[in-house]
Amino acid sequence: MATDTNWKRDLLNQIQRRNRKQSYPFIHLIQTNNKLQEIASSLHLKNVQLQVEIERLKEESISSHVRGDGVVSIATTHQLEQKLFKLQEELTEMHKKRGENAQQIIDLNALLQEKEKEIQHKDTMISSMVETNVTLKQSKKALEFSIAELEATNQMLKDEHQALQMAFTALEERYRKTQEDNSDLIQRWMEQKAKDADRMNAENADFIKARQQRLAKDLEEAAKEQVPVDLDKGPVDGYIPAVCVMASVPSRAQCVFDAHEGEVYSVQWNAMGSFFASGGADRKIKLWEYHNGVCESRGTLVGSNAGITSLDYSQDDSMLLGASNDFASRIWTVVDQRLRHTLTGHSGKVLSAKFLTEGKVVSGSHDRTLKIWDLVSKSCVKTIFAGSSCNDLVTLYGASIISGHFDKRIRFWDTRGPADSSINEILLQGRLTSLALASDKNQLLCCTRDDCLKIIDLRMNQVSCTLTADGFKVGCDWSRAVFSPDREYAAAGSGDGHLFVWNVSKAKVEKILKEHSHAVVACSWNPSGVSLVSCEKGKKVVLWSDF
Amino acid sequence: MADDREILRELWDGKIPVSFQLAQEEIYTVEQPDPFFLLVPRLTYFPLVTDKVYRHMVKHVDPDHGEMWLEFDNQPLKWHYPIGVLYDLYGYQSELPWTLTVHFKNFPEDELLHCPSKEAVESHFMSVVKEADALKHRGQAINNMQKKDHKALWTGLMNDKFDQFWSVNKKLMENSGEDAFKSVPFRIYQMDQIPVQKLFKPVDDNGENLTLKNLLSIALPDLEEKGILSRYRVVTQGIEPPLDVPVGWMSEHLSYPDNFLHICLVSRGHSES
Repeated sequence: MATDTNWKRDLLNQIQRRNRKQSYPFIHLIQTNNKLQEIASSLHLKNVQLQVEIERLKEESISSHVRGDGVVSIATTHQLEQKLFKLQEELTEMHKKRGENAQQIIDLNALLQEKEKEIQHKDTMISSMVETNVTLKQSKKALEFSIAELEATNQMLKDEHQALQMAFTALEERYRKTQEDNSDLIQRWMEQKAKDADRMNAENADFIKARQQRLAKDLEEAAKEQVPVDLDKGPVDGYIPAVCVMASVPSRAQCVFDAHEGEVYSVQWNAMGSFFASGGADRKIKLWEYHNGVCESRGTLVGSNAGITSLDYSQDDSMLLGASNDFASRIWTVVDQRLRHTLTGHSGKVLSAKFLTEGKVVSGSHDRTLKIWDLVSKSCVKTIFAGSSCNDLVTLYGASIISGHFDKRIRFWDTRGPADSSINEILLQGRLTSLALASDKNQLLCCTRDDCLKIIDLRMNQVSCTLTADGFKVGCDWSRAVFSPDREYAAAGSGDGHLFVWNVSKAKVEKILKEHSHAVVACSWNPSGVSLVSCEKGKKVVLWSDF
Repeated sequence: MADDREILRELWDGKIPVSFQLAQEEIYTVEQPDPFFLLVPRLTYFPLVTDKVYRHMVKHVDPDHGEMWLEFDNQPLKWHYPIGVLYDLYGYQSELPWTLTVHFKNFPEDELLHCPSKEAVESHFMSVVKEADALKHRGQAINNMQKKDHKALWTGLMNDKFDQFWSVNKKLMENSGEDAFKSVPFRIYQMDQIPVQKLFKPVDDNGENLTLKNLLSIALPDLEEKGILSRYRVVTQGIEPPLDVPVGWMSEHLSYPDNFLHICLVSRGHSES
């Protein structure tokens, strides 16, 4: 505690010493200095003021010296001075007043001028208002006039409208009556038609009966007569379909040639077995005849706008039907090679088209419909909504259709029944690529994408036989397989370019024919059973036979 | 305690005689301006006392002048240090009155802050007080005060009212029981160096009071290591306190009004030259 106070005292002493040294000696000095400085500055100011005063006084004294002449008694002078002073004061006051008055006058003048200006302005405004008023009135009158006019027109139009309305009701009444007449007439006409049809049927029946009787008679006669058969005489002109006794399995390529510019999608022999047609991606159908080991072109059918997908001859070989990727099917006559009909209406590629009867055609399309066409009226008579893209179809007995679909189903249709419901369906394991009927129309050969051929017995409505082979691959969605004319064999092309021929009764591969270098698309057996034609995705068509 | 109060009072009365002279190259009039003498309190700031100097000098300079600033011995003086600190740091060895040069041109932008008004000084002062209280009481004392207390601190300093100032300041200087100082707000100045400021507890772990010597060894370990501390005088408030004075007591009694201990190290060699 003692040391405590010691250093505290020491500090206090130091501070006091500091203050004594630094501030106390200077307090009075600086205070005095500041005071003196203030005094000096105030004196300086006063000095300046006095100087100015002196100057002023000097000037005054000079002026008084100049005026002071003569010695007048101081009293009078004083009196006069006082008077003068008063008068001068009065005078100044007057002057002041006058000045004020003048100022007032000036102010009033200014005011007056301003008011006048205002009046002038108002006048101009009034005149312009009047002018506008007049123009507005004029326009109002004009508008009223036009309103009246419009009203008159309106009235007129209304009248016209009423008149027209009345005319319209009258006409409508007449129209209704006419329609009634019309329906009446139609009914009567229909009745007449029905009667005609009945009569026609009766006549037909009679005619057929008569013909049958005649035929029976002729047959009897013919049976009686011995007719020498002239074997040397070839097929006479006219339609004689080829007859097959026994099909032979072709063993070698007789003729290999470039048929088209691009892929060949379809080949088909005619019913006589004398010609075959091929259709390809180059939009052409070509007709060929096999003669002395070569295939000679017998004509080209043009008219399609896209590749040909399927071909079919009519039963008498007079017409050729081609389905096309341009959504249409076309019919050419073979003799003059001219395009006769173009059947348009599908909204997708037509993948297959076949003759139903001589006058009707059925086509199956990628747009999931089948259409039946009447060649007489050249129009679509029926559209069947199949529900899936149709890859191939065949016709049976002129009225039934069997179609093979993308959804692995085969559908059976009867054109006579109500549309849009198939009579029967068979589901297979793969997408259908082709259908082919055997010549006895009891067996159906189906080619599916699961690389096998199925033979369906149409009487049993089930698969009777399955044909497969090592290395057999179905090349595309429209690969076609065929029966031989005697139903002993089935032929189909593979994706690797081989042509497989199966023996149907043994369900075994009979032969594998190698000539194609691309996937084989379609093949067709000559109706006489001696040769086979196949086409591929390249340009080539090969004709096979065993001699 | 009577001694302590006396010490505070004597410190408050500390004044320095200053002679203001206009820089020769800035005189604009024919007449040479007289030097202006003032006795300025050590604890205040220059912008609070130089109004008269400004009025006196401004008559003699280019009317297109800039802000006024002061210089001693080619050293621009920072207005935000208390005048006592400036004197102890730069003018401790010089003769009295302290002769400063007044400038109106070439404001040393990179050394001085602009001082637009006395409000700037006030806000600076209050912020330093808050900083000090944050160090001492975690800012609780200053935050518990009202606005009028803050105002009383400032007006007490500005108008040289010892009682008004200390009636408020004693709350900030509370150093007992729970309000004991957490750490001591101090700054150590050296010529041409950035001031040193560190966290420093006034009492060590054993409850012993730490002295000025401890403070210097912690704040300036370099000087301590080199053993050159004896080359410097340790000056605060114009005196050289013994090195065994407890720092806690120093902070309570020898702090400037901004609650900081401003300690200057003045080279002894400088005084001999």
